[in-house]
Amino acid sequence: MTTQDLIDQAELKPLSRFAHRDVEGVFISDMVSDVMALAQPGNLWLTIQTHKSIIPAANLVDVAAIVITGGKEVPAETIDLASKYDVAILSTSRSTFEMAGQLYKLGLGGEQTK
Amino acid sequence: MDAPACQHHWVMINVSFGFVAFETCYHCGGTRTFFTTEQTPLLREKYREGDHYWNRVENAQSFQFELHCHRCYRREKFEDLMGLLHCTGCRAECAIDVLRRRYESEGKWVLVAFGFLPDAHVPPQPIPEEKLRMLSEYFNQRRRAGRAPVVVVPFTLIPDTSLCFGDFLHDVGMLSQEPPGERRPLL
Repeated sequence: MTTQDLIDQAELKPLSRFAHRDVEGVFISDMVSDVMALAQPGNLWLTIQTHKSIIPAANLVDVAAIVITGGKEVPAETIDLASKYDVAILSTSRSTFEMAGQLYKLGLGGEQTK
Repeated sequence: MDAPACQHHWVMINVSFGFVAFETCYHCGGTRTFFTTEQTPLLREKYREGDHYWNRVENAQSFQFELHCHRCYRREKFEDLMGLLHCTGCRAECAIDVLRRRYESEGKWVLVAFGFLPDAHVPPQPIPEEKLRMLSEYFNQRRRAGRAPVVVVPFTLIPDTSLCFGDFLHDVGMLSQEPPGERRPLL
């Protein structure tokens, strides 16, 4: 599954400019330390965090995309930084719980690439 | 004859979650930082230690780890790494910002590795170049797509850390529910 497939099937709204890529597994956390230590390359990162520090963390781990849940507004400086470094930010009005359920139905279980 | 050098392939192991604690002495004004695995670190905890009267002013959620090469089995602890900092380009004359602009033009991302402040009025401890190289290798070996490679550089290139407004990749002030605070110098 690719980020384009997810945008189409999960009704996610792209906020930054990025090249589409494969998605492998889902990681949920609102802490950058969790992401840096435990997320795997290719994961979809679900979070409510919108501070621009999520961008270098996502880039370090090489996540496929960040999904901002709960319809939270993302500051322009976060979006600009993401676009600059080809980091995908997708947005949804659904809660993290609902989004996780939908991703599971789409075949993205909680598995993480090792 | 020397054995050929290993083309290391790093994995992160022995991850230990905790906090980077920031304490200031309200007697001499000095600052120190250290990693703690306290379950519930208390803010504003005050205590005396020798000539210092320490006050815990910040607890940033963080972690410590080792890198392990699964080819030659070398292991390296990163207990000396306080954190990574994202350069915000606050001072055009800063050597880090000069590097950042140069690497950006090559499509690379600069992160600054900081050592701990071991005691009041003692400068942050440098992290050996070789370990910075390992960190860069580790982050870049995990990358799939052609996304910006990472270059980890030492904080010692910052001429004056008290004027640095870079963003640490720590979990402090990260919750968007929190009211935005006034930006403070780094140390």
